[in-house]
Amino acid sequence: MSHMTDRKPDIPPDLLAEFEAASRRTLQQRWKYAFIKTYKPVMDDAPSRAFDSMEEYRLWCEANLPVWLGYHRV
Amino acid sequence: MRYLFIGKSGAILLGYPDTTQDADVFVEKSAENGEALVRALLELSFHLSPDDMTHIRRGKDFVQLKNGPFDLDLVFAPDGIEGFSAAWSRRTESAGFMVCNIDDIIASKRAANRAKDRESLFRLEAFRDYLRSKD
Repeated sequence: MSHMTDRKPDIPPDLLAEFEAASRRTLQQRWKYAFIKTYKPVMDDAPSRAFDSMEEYRLWCEANLPVWLGYHRV
Repeated sequence: MRYLFIGKSGAILLGYPDTTQDADVFVEKSAENGEALVRALLELSFHLSPDDMTHIRRGKDFVQLKNGPFDLDLVFAPDGIEGFSAAWSRRTESAGFMVCNIDDIIASKRAANRAKDRESLFRLEAFRDYLRSKD
């Protein structure tokens, strides 16, 4: 037991418990419950977009998306 | 086709417990790969417009698709990773899917530096430590 504790010294116990629980689920289970779709204003209003660079994409997000969506750089 | 899952969807394939709204795939930029990717997406029932197909074949740095069975971001040049070959050499395979190394997933999120990335970094780094403890 002390061996296990020594190998995971910096992981908070609640996170460690989550990781251990996830490791007991199959990939199919993890994948099935991982995707949660909620409407994102502006972002979801076009079927596709393409950008010549990541910087162009980031600037587009900052100019068009509400801040609360989290796509603005810090 | 040469691709790597990246972002949170990549981490989830590695065992990370979290939710996401889309899949992020880092794709090698080449004419052959772009063509193969278009074929694969059509097979998966993505409704690609002629423009979409052109952008994918040309390997535009970022293509966002919301016209298929799930939302998909195709990233040809992710922040924080020097290139596809380097990321490929560090890849992990999970149930037949090619996935970026957890360090590359973290590096790209750190480099993107968006509010939503910042929020997820602590948990992702803890997960990286967890994976290492199991090696």
